[in-house]
Amino acid sequence: MRIAIRHELAITPPEGATNAVMHLLLTPQSGPTQTVESWSVSTTGIGNAARFSDAFGNTVHLVNQARPDGEWKVSVTGVVNTIDRHGVLGRSHHGEPVPTIYKRATVLTKSPVTMWSKFRGSSESRLDVLHGLMARVGEVLGDGEGGQEQSQSEGRQSQSQGGESETANMVDLTHAFVGAARALDIPARYVTGYVAASEDNEASFHAWAEAYDDHLGWIGFDCLLQMCPAERHVRLAVGLDAVSTQPIRAVPEGDGLKQIAVSVEMAQ
Amino acid sequence: MGDTTPFDEMYNADGSVREPYSALAQWLDEQPDRGLSLMSSDAEAIFRRLGITFAVYGSDEGNEKLIPFDVIPRIISAMEWRRLSRGIEQRVRALNAFLYDIYHRQEIIKAGRIPEKLILQNSAFCPEMMGLEPARGVYAHIIGVDIVRTGPDDFYVLEDNLRTPSGVSYMLEDREAMMQLAPDLFQRCKVAPVENYPENLRRTLESVAPHNTSGSPTIAVLTPGIYNSAYFEHSFLADQMGAQLCEGPDLFVDGGRVYMRTTTGPERVDVIYRRIDDDYIDPLTFRPDSMLGVPGLFDAYRAGNVTLVNAPGTGIADDKAVYTYVPEIVEFYLGEKALLNNVPTHNCVDSDERAWVFDNLQDLVVKEVHGSGGYGMLIGPTSSKALREEFKKRIEARPDNYIVQPTLALSTCPTFVRSGIAPRHVDLRPYVLIGDEVRITPGGLTRVALKKGSLVVNSSQGGGTKDTWVLEE
Amino acid sequence: MRMLGRTAQHLFWLSRYVERAENMARLLDVGYRMSLTARREGGASEHMLSMMQAAEVEEAFAAKYDQADLDSVVHFMMFDPDNPSSVFSCLLAARTNARSVRTAITLDMWESLNSAWLTFSQIKPRDVKGAKLLGVLQWVKQLSHEFRGALLGTKLRDDGYCFSQVGNFIERADNTARILDMKYYVLLPRAKMIGGDLDIQQWTLILRAASAHRSYRHVYHDRYKAHNIADFLILRPEMPRSLVYCAQMIEETLGGLTKLYGAKQECHEAAAELAAMVANNSMDKIFADGLHDFLTEFLARNYRVTETLSDSYNFY
Repeated sequence: MRIAIRHELAITPPEGATNAVMHLLLTPQSGPTQTVESWSVSTTGIGNAARFSDAFGNTVHLVNQARPDGEWKVSVTGVVNTIDRHGVLGRSHHGEPVPTIYKRATVLTKSPVTMWSKFRGSSESRLDVLHGLMARVGEVLGDGEGGQEQSQSEGRQSQSQGGESETANMVDLTHAFVGAARALDIPARYVTGYVAASEDNEASFHAWAEAYDDHLGWIGFDCLLQMCPAERHVRLAVGLDAVSTQPIRAVPEGDGLKQIAVSVEMAQ
Repeated sequence: MGDTTPFDEMYNADGSVREPYSALAQWLDEQPDRGLSLMSSDAEAIFRRLGITFAVYGSDEGNEKLIPFDVIPRIISAMEWRRLSRGIEQRVRALNAFLYDIYHRQEIIKAGRIPEKLILQNSAFCPEMMGLEPARGVYAHIIGVDIVRTGPDDFYVLEDNLRTPSGVSYMLEDREAMMQLAPDLFQRCKVAPVENYPENLRRTLESVAPHNTSGSPTIAVLTPGIYNSAYFEHSFLADQMGAQLCEGPDLFVDGGRVYMRTTTGPERVDVIYRRIDDDYIDPLTFRPDSMLGVPGLFDAYRAGNVTLVNAPGTGIADDKAVYTYVPEIVEFYLGEKALLNNVPTHNCVDSDERAWVFDNLQDLVVKEVHGSGGYGMLIGPTSSKALREEFKKRIEARPDNYIVQPTLALSTCPTFVRSGIAPRHVDLRPYVLIGDEVRITPGGLTRVALKKGSLVVNSSQGGGTKDTWVLEE
Repeated sequence: MRMLGRTAQHLFWLSRYVERAENMARLLDVGYRMSLTARREGGASEHMLSMMQAAEVEEAFAAKYDQADLDSVVHFMMFDPDNPSSVFSCLLAARTNARSVRTAITLDMWESLNSAWLTFSQIKPRDVKGAKLLGVLQWVKQLSHEFRGALLGTKLRDDGYCFSQVGNFIERADNTARILDMKYYVLLPRAKMIGGDLDIQQWTLILRAASAHRSYRHVYHDRYKAHNIADFLILRPEMPRSLVYCAQMIEETLGGLTKLYGAKQECHEAAAELAAMVANNSMDKIFADGLHDFLTEFLARNYRVTETLSDSYNFY
């Protein structure tokens, strides 16, 4: 599927800052499930940016601006061709760390024992365990079908609020899955990306999880949408948790990151 | 290692003088009454003049203290040093190979030679370092190895310091002072020089400059500032090397490169000898509340535009729990037996082992895994019953936070104290530089516990220092 | 090796604080002497207040104390950490700046400051009374001279020297201008040609505060006259605390930086504008245009030199 993406974000550094720096994780890479046809990141200072690979194999831009004045906007546009492989990415690629480092627990990925204890010592295959875990995380933390219908029927006025809580929920679900998998000694990572609209969801900046199976390699699990990412998902960055995959980290960050607009559309 | 009389480095059990100390013994005999006492006060004047002080945490600013200096040098024979330095070199090579592996393929974990959890869940492990290729493959360029001696041939490594080991300025100033105080003694002994440490440090730092450095690399020492307890050392080393002493706000990142703000504009920095802990070097990647660091510094490092010395994440190799595995590490990477012994170390996680520890606590030393400076330690033989009970509770609550070692009978060295010359316990911290080659300064810093019978040599707890002589053949 | 902007900044402020400690000691000395001879009721505290006005700390004082009695003022000016210009604060700031640039100053400079600080920390505030107070104030002035001696005698004539010197003279110019401004009205030309007792007392205060009461005679061979006093402290190039001397030194020292760095900066323009106020000027003209306005403008231009200096050489 050919997907066109536009994403606009911004931070506003506090007045009087002498030098503001941004760490951008906004560049997707081609892989088994997607081929990047075109991509561009534009922002003040991008011409002078350092571009390098981070510890998790992501492409990073380090951008800076001396004496920033007001809002600092970042716009991303590009076209990515996706391939449906039922979420299976396969073994790690060159530039990616050994999968075992994704067993490291972080503050954000602490998952309660009740979430994963029933899978401990399970005789099922790892793949089945992971599917079971995705369902369990959805049951315990998800809104369920009813919840989603309700939030849709509340009308437009509450849309932005609904969007925020949905994002928070998505982050929690993904952390819960990642944390539970790690507690079960399965390497699992946090993935950011985009998802195109469907009957069940709007187009959005999105997050899901990937877990490692010794035979199949990395497999995606989207706990919010309760599915393995297929051709509507575009992978952007991976890491230990939501903090290590933030699309923009900035110092000084002022009021924090603002999402201005995102559109993910099927292209011709 | 029992409770016998500790080994004395100067005198044999029968009272005769050990060979390396013969010239010193004679010289001591020749000193007039009050000679040493005068030397001691001269030494204090020299140190105060130079302003060599350290701040004790928790005490008032402006209340800097002098570390007591003992005028009787500690002497190591050429043969003893050869053995020691071979062992040290082997150890630091193995530890750097370990760091490279841990931050790449992690073969040692796959081979089951070290527990996965011990590395991956360790707070000293720095996942952000994965896959990074440091210049010359070196992670820890400056290492201080703490060594204790318990007999003529028995040396043990107590701790490897791979983060930002301090104290080297005392090694240099102690030598400087000693040469002023007793030049005649130097004429009688051939003492290996330590003065070239700053030059060697500079060479080491230059040798690990990024590939894209043009011309001779610009070096900066990054200090947390004047309120840090080791600030004197930071400014001393920068001065001696001819490097710029910078605080975080003096540096900034532009276009992925690091610059310092000078009176005539920005100047590119190639190598940073940072004396700020990992957590604080860059608020963009590590602790966001850090005011000491440089935003974007770590990214500039990852982009290959600056070298950080030591690399972040080296602490995983001097973690007290990983320490137990160093002999294993030496064998795994170098295929040879470790030349220097570890102190036998017990953990408290295993309940049987814990029970044994509790039964024998009065003979043991308990250390916090992440403690330093002699704080949070229990020394069994000199502890009260109440304190031992307290430690049992703490261990019970967090068994993985403690390691336990036998109480070592640290060697003693004659030391000038109020009552005259008396034996006091000492340890040794040699300093190693690793860049284009491994450079070990002969000797190092000898720390001495000035209180009679005390085994705690830390300066924050009443320890002093001695000039350390390695004799040349 | 190029100098860090921060190093330049520390050297600049280090000198300023040593100079300020000296000036504060001198002001307190004058205030104290005047208060001893005040005849009117409340006269003593009036002198103290105008002295603090010259030191620009009267607001900070008022925020803490109700009354300007001798003990409070002495404590406030000498030992109070809440007073950013107290001798205590100045010496602490000087030493802190020095510690930050230990390798950029000479051992002699460091030792003079370090031992001064150690000595000062031993002084018990409650012992500093009467004759003891004057002794301590004298000692503060001396330590400033000692530091300056070490600077002049041992420091390389490099950029660091220039930043130290500029700091010294900007602080001094500021101080002299403030002393004049505090009592400018007693210097104004008046119909009555001969000053009364009260005038003489005020003039003495001004001269003493600038350490000029003895040298005045050497220059003018005359009794105290308002016109001469103003001339002495503003336009006399041989007077080392006069505005013209300080402005010249600032300009000259900044000229040294141009030579070293090979470029003129905004601060050079600011220094030239400062010097232009006092070069080729006359007291008659200054009085005609208004002494107070003149001093206000001078202080503003002097402040601008500091500001542009920070920008030009990347202080932060």
